[in-house]
Amino acid sequence: MSTIAASPRLGAQPAARGGRANKVLQFSKLTVFYLVLLGVGVVFMVPYIFAVFGSLKPESSIFTTPAWVPPSNPAWSNYPNAFLNFSQVQTQFGRYMLNTAIVTVALTVGQVLFSMLAAYAFARLTFPGRDGIFWLYLCTLMVPNIVTIVPLYTEMHYLHLVNTYWAVFLPYALGTPYTIFLMRQFFRNIPQDVIDAAKIDGCGDVSVLRRVVIPLSRPVIITAGLIAFVFGWNNFLWPLVVLNSQSHYLLTNGLANFSTGPGSGEYLNLLLVGAVITLVPMLVLFIVFNRYIVRSIQLTSGK
Amino acid sequence: MALTATEKAATAGVARSIGTGRRPKVPRSKGARELLRALPFLTPSLVGVLLFLVIPVVFVLVLSFMTWSGAGPFKWAGLQNWTNIFLFDNAAHSLGVTAYYVLLNIPLQTVLALGLAVMLNRKRRGMAFFRVLYLAPYLSTPVAMGLIWSWVFDPRQGAADRFLALFGIHGPAWLSSSLWAMPVVAGVNIWQFLGFNMLFFYAGLQAIPSSLYEAAQLDGASKWRQFWRISLPLLNSTMLFVLITDVIGSFQVFDTLYVLTGGTGGPGDSTQVLSLQIYNVGFQGTRYGEAAALSVLLFGVILLFSVGQFLFFKNRTTYEFS
Repeated sequence: MSTIAASPRLGAQPAARGGRANKVLQFSKLTVFYLVLLGVGVVFMVPYIFAVFGSLKPESSIFTTPAWVPPSNPAWSNYPNAFLNFSQVQTQFGRYMLNTAIVTVALTVGQVLFSMLAAYAFARLTFPGRDGIFWLYLCTLMVPNIVTIVPLYTEMHYLHLVNTYWAVFLPYALGTPYTIFLMRQFFRNIPQDVIDAAKIDGCGDVSVLRRVVIPLSRPVIITAGLIAFVFGWNNFLWPLVVLNSQSHYLLTNGLANFSTGPGSGEYLNLLLVGAVITLVPMLVLFIVFNRYIVRSIQLTSGK
Repeated sequence: MALTATEKAATAGVARSIGTGRRPKVPRSKGARELLRALPFLTPSLVGVLLFLVIPVVFVLVLSFMTWSGAGPFKWAGLQNWTNIFLFDNAAHSLGVTAYYVLLNIPLQTVLALGLAVMLNRKRRGMAFFRVLYLAPYLSTPVAMGLIWSWVFDPRQGAADRFLALFGIHGPAWLSSSLWAMPVVAGVNIWQFLGFNMLFFYAGLQAIPSSLYEAAQLDGASKWRQFWRISLPLLNSTMLFVLITDVIGSFQVFDTLYVLTGGTGGPGDSTQVLSLQIYNVGFQGTRYGEAAALSVLLFGVILLFSVGQFLFFKNRTTYEFS
């Protein structure tokens, strides 16, 4: 496309000769280009729109009307019905949401705080075995989550933590190698002069961290917080394994249980309410922190 | 890493101030003092990494030679779990299904992501908007998205069937068909992570100096030729990264698959991937020893693939510019 577009820049003559035909061709090419982009965009947006429409339809019309047709008479009562204990089916999305919030906040706060402490030690302190321990941390990055599910469950069984919130967030709340690695890279780039100045003013390690390192590291802390929060909110397999009473379920478990459990396929409208309320916080985060998310993805590839 | 003079002075100063402070008994040796200073920062993560990563990895290997039913004692089982998973659980079939899923997922995902990245790598209006739009599904809870898609592909006149009916096509039974269930799962996964992968390729393309394209243009190289001769070779390291992370991720597929197919591995055993089998054998069947053996098998396969891919791309030239 831009072979044609770029050639006029080399000299004025070809543009004059190209004339109208060239312009029309270029315009139609541009139109097709944007139409393709828009078409792809529609594919990405469609399930969200379907879900919102479906969550506002009465159960009877979930399959009798096409998903792309908006509800003719929005059934707003679906939302309170799904949030509270609805008598016909056990939907307690309010409860699930509370559980998810508790676990996710604990996981996020712990992961950010303890990763930060470890990253400070690796980036700014010298001690015997430092590089060896850091190398061990990096090695654990190769271990896929699914591989440790069985032994982790065994551990939780012997720690008597099965079916508690603790079991869900503890494995990820003491700092994770990946976040430690990200933060260490960032902390290393803080100029030594700034830290020396604080030390001359009588700051110990804790106050250096609090007064110098943290204020200078806001981007990486927000990135780490986002990674932890999204992981906690979307986590499914581990809570599925380690929680066995419905009152402890997270949103993901509640959704899956409702869809595959007894009486599944019924009240799909309420299930879609559950899906929508699970997705809304993630979409809000995505919009608000878009720049940080893009940055965190690019950090992953080392670019 | 060598300490700077100021850092040394600062360390000594702090150590001295501790020495003359409230704690009278400070270890003499420098190493012990440094360790004492670092431990409060290091301990939480060290406990976490040892307890929840290092020990489990060792333990899963040990457990694969033992039997445990979720309570009570562990019993030594020798190679029994390993023979059981192949003879009775048909682990070879699960491995095949997993490989089939990876094959459905990776090539299409990579080509589409690269294509979108090339399209968006232009100086035109609205490119940033489309980049954001395509990335939206990346954070969206896979379980919730899986549910919505399972409704779209519902054989009882879901949106997919209704849409095809507009063109007079009678849709297949999708998720209740052993032929179509896996492609649907792969499609949903591609939908979810396409924007994410696109972003890596986009970043890679942005890093290629435009002077290379300008030079090629002067030589009369077509856009198509520029892509094959400049963009693609220079995206080598990005390609390696994307393929390795995608393959590792695809081998672990669980959430989407569980929700779309009900977690039984059905229809038949057409969607029984290894990760699902680990869950079903272990936590549904309480045969944790066999589940551990399956976990070790999956870990081995993932490691093998990552190393293989790495070697394949390492042998090709990687270009660096800064």
